[in-house]
Amino acid sequence: MAKNIIAFLMLSIMLILAACSPSQENVASDQFNLSTLKLAGGTDWGAPNPYLHDPRGPGTAKMKLIFDSLLEADEEGDIAWLAKDWQIEGNVYTFTLYENARFHDGQPLTTADVAFTIDYYKQFPPVTNYLDVDGESIVERYEVVDDQTIKLIVSEPMATTLVKLGSFVILPKHIWENVSDPYNYNEAEAFIGSGPYKFGSYEPATGSYEFLANGDYHGPKPVTERLLFVPVSDPLLAFDNGEIDLTDVPIDAMEKYKNNPAIGMIAKENDMGYKLLVNMESFSQFKDVKMRKALYHALNREAIVEKVFRGSGTVGSAGYVPPTNYFYNENVLKYDYDPTAAAAVFADQKIAVELLISNTADDVKVAELIKNDLNNVGIEIQVLSVDTKVRDEKVLAGEYEFAVVGNGGWGRTPDYLRTLYSSKSKFTGSNPHFMGPLGYDNELITELAESQLLELDFERRKEILQELQYEISKEVPIVVLATKTTYVMFKKDYYDGWVKTYDYQQLEQNRLSYVEKK
Amino acid sequence: MTKLKFYLIILLIMALIFGYGSFFYPHSAARPEGISLQRPSKEHFLGTDDLGTDIFAQLSKGFFISVFIGITTAIIAMFLGGSIGMVSGYVGGKTDFLISFVINLFLSLPQLPVMIVVGAFFGQSIGNVIAIIALFSWAAIAKVVRAKTLQIKRNTYLHLAKSYGASFFYLFRKHLFTEVFPLLLINSLTVVGRAILQEASLAFLGLSDPLTRSWGLIINKAMSFTGIYYTDYWQWWLLPPVTCLVLTIYCLRMIAREAENLIIGAD
Repeated sequence: MAKNIIAFLMLSIMLILAACSPSQENVASDQFNLSTLKLAGGTDWGAPNPYLHDPRGPGTAKMKLIFDSLLEADEEGDIAWLAKDWQIEGNVYTFTLYENARFHDGQPLTTADVAFTIDYYKQFPPVTNYLDVDGESIVERYEVVDDQTIKLIVSEPMATTLVKLGSFVILPKHIWENVSDPYNYNEAEAFIGSGPYKFGSYEPATGSYEFLANGDYHGPKPVTERLLFVPVSDPLLAFDNGEIDLTDVPIDAMEKYKNNPAIGMIAKENDMGYKLLVNMESFSQFKDVKMRKALYHALNREAIVEKVFRGSGTVGSAGYVPPTNYFYNENVLKYDYDPTAAAAVFADQKIAVELLISNTADDVKVAELIKNDLNNVGIEIQVLSVDTKVRDEKVLAGEYEFAVVGNGGWGRTPDYLRTLYSSKSKFTGSNPHFMGPLGYDNELITELAESQLLELDFERRKEILQELQYEISKEVPIVVLATKTTYVMFKKDYYDGWVKTYDYQQLEQNRLSYVEKK
Repeated sequence: MTKLKFYLIILLIMALIFGYGSFFYPHSAARPEGISLQRPSKEHFLGTDDLGTDIFAQLSKGFFISVFIGITTAIIAMFLGGSIGMVSGYVGGKTDFLISFVINLFLSLPQLPVMIVVGAFFGQSIGNVIAIIALFSWAAIAKVVRAKTLQIKRNTYLHLAKSYGASFFYLFRKHLFTEVFPLLLINSLTVVGRAILQEASLAFLGLSDPLTRSWGLIINKAMSFTGIYYTDYWQWWLLPPVTCLVLTIYCLRMIAREAENLIIGAD
């Protein structure tokens, strides 16, 4: 009897241990290469639909797993996605859809849905409005040729027109035509798209997301049956325990992994950057360029790279675009750390400022260094640390004095210079790339920022963007602090299909990373 | 040497060490003055953090911040809990019923979640942290004081004093306060330790001023350094504040217990 009890207890313990131990439940499913692919969640990036997601990259990326656009981008350029073919003739962009494209509820996706979406977005702009430039839709009108062919006529062709037309996500007309308040519509149908993944579940409190493979997808097959974003306390430990399949590698832990042949690593060079925004409506003395240049001199930005980024990054270019970006102008003006010169400018001004930051670890560290540097030159700083979303909302509403904002996407084609610096375009979107200098306008900068968008000749556009950077470096309306290079790692033998686009380095936000490659 | 003295001496030694760190040690607790993440050395006794700020200087400042928060909270809680408890016990009737209801309400609330919500609402500052912790510390003291007051109230000498025309303030000064005070002191001592721990918890959760140097924040910063366990940094960045926190709380708890034994023994 006693033996039986002991045996039973041993068996129970073994079963409990087996259940608790991290497991790679991740073997191939019947239909897909993997049964589960897991990434670190834990942050609420909003519900994954065009009207409810968070405007930052991770929010948009989750929405785009469910909702398809006409085109996608790979490492070389634009590729077919919902549209199998496209042609450009002057102002007319003709797209031909795949015949077998369907929504997740089985309804066919046709040009009627594309046309409906364009009209619907004019009436109810989505969170990320690719069709909008300076508050106007770029699509002047459209012609539905047949169920698969549609001609989109734009008012004026721009350098980014094809990307913009290829990026807006298509809504199912049969669902949304009855929705009069999309901003509060969160029924199950609100998450029916036509993308490679279907909506599984979303838990805002824990920042958990579940996406399920769309077995009937018209395009490249999803790689995993379930794609999960799960909350983890320490991403690195979670990665080692097999709880997630991809994570950032801290520079200090690089040694442990870099020689491991089973681990793959990809760098995202200077794609994350930090800037200091000055509200010149509240502090009009900073309208004087001498004061703004003195801010540059006051800040030891090298220390941010060395201490906060652990040496993995670059001091911010005064022209905003980081040195690793193809469009970077190496002739932009540079400002050295010169606290004596800065102190001479700020002397006797008695400036006291509230510095708005988000409560993330890096933001707090950056704020600490800024506070010390500015105190040294005679500016009193009071730090206000809030949640990232609250910080973003306050900045967009202009409710700040100084603010530190960090965001990704600095490696992109720098049309973001337009949305940051042009008086016409700044603050016309909710993404950090629209958070420009408040109370500052410059005609030449606005003209250059807007004209680069209209320039169709690539080399000429590059020249304009470089000229724009130079002007920005002369005027310094925003203090560009530093850009950061991060590294992600993954287990190669489990899944190594992570890809960047030619324009965006955040590979975990790229839906091509989650479908089979040719 | 009694146990009470032993724990008091430990606290005193800590105060002396951290007093040196706060007033005579050549490094600042606020400004990065060294290379990032330096190992402990003669120059930096406990090394530096990722920004290059001296950890011993931060710990020293953190000790006094923690003790200040603990003692201030305890004084507020002692004053509030003591006066409310005595009024409730002495006046009785509907007042007692109402106060007892409020006391029980505060005691039944899950403290940390409510503190997190209140902390997030009021914003991050040491003053707010003290106010929030004090708000949740007075009720336990008031309950004990009320019970003791009720017990004292039944004593015949109190009735006798009253019949001779003793005023409330005379009774309070001569009888109530003198008898309640030892109990008040013991309960307040436990508040000191608890307040330090709660401040550390709130700071760890990011609800304290992010640039202060409390121990909770030092722990928070160390733990938010991704991959700290894969390096040696935790040995001088994480271990010392955790050890100091545990040691201080333990000493304060033991002092409160020994004081209680001493007073009960004397009774």
